[in-house]
Amino acid sequence: MNLISGIDVSASALNAQKTRLDIVAQNIANAQTTRGANGLPYQRQTVSFETELVNRSGGTVDGGLPLQSVRVASIQGDPTPGQRVFDPQHPDADATGTVTMPNVNLAYEMVDLITATRAYEANLSVVKSARQMALKALEIGK
Amino acid sequence: MSLIGSVSALSASTLPRLPGVTQPDGLSPVAAPITPKTAAAPGADVVQPGGFGQLFDNLVGAVDAKQTEATQLSRQVLLGQNDQLHQSVIAMQEASVAFSLMVQVRNKLVESYQELMRMPV
Repeated sequence: MNLISGIDVSASALNAQKTRLDIVAQNIANAQTTRGANGLPYQRQTVSFETELVNRSGGTVDGGLPLQSVRVASIQGDPTPGQRVFDPQHPDADATGTVTMPNVNLAYEMVDLITATRAYEANLSVVKSARQMALKALEIGK
Repeated sequence: MSLIGSVSALSASTLPRLPGVTQPDGLSPVAAPITPKTAAAPGADVVQPGGFGQLFDNLVGAVDAKQTEATQLSRQVLLGQNDQLHQSVIAMQEASVAFSLMVQVRNKLVESYQELMRMPV
């Protein structure tokens, strides 16, 4: 029984945007991490999405159209080189006294953060409207 | 008999989406003409399988399944086993809408019963 139609699509989008927010949080948290698990400076991660076909209500022809939801396709590292800072006191400084910082740009991350938040809010509005429509439909008989 | 003309067109697509509604040999159960029974067979007051009682029973079962699912998801979120907060809230909302639908169906049933009881004999 699927009373609020299209809610699976919105739920998947919410899921995807939440993943994006988590990755942004990880990037910001590791903006100063000069040594990751592999011994290298932290590499900024980016999320890409892909569509996923969901069948509404069992995929019957008159019951509902096949809708395209979204899922996280991949989380990949940003290959741009990080900034090199001269800091001989740093534990991770190389022989020349320079430290490679992570390639995290806080301005980019803030833009990503706002975009993810707004996209999340937009999908929440869809959920809210779908619910209101269902409740209004139930008021037909009143 | 279709008192509200457009409703029969509506039901053709919405009824299969309700739980427990199977269309016998491609015929919409609503569109089927009501044939009055000429002679009451012995034991005719027994509830027919697949009748409205069965339909309502399935509806209640589906609503209960939704409530259980919502409870399960909320429990997982509260216990920290799952961080999909939105899914639990959406499941709760879905359960709420399904419950409202059930209440509306019940209201209609009670209303029609009271209408019958008001009939002067």
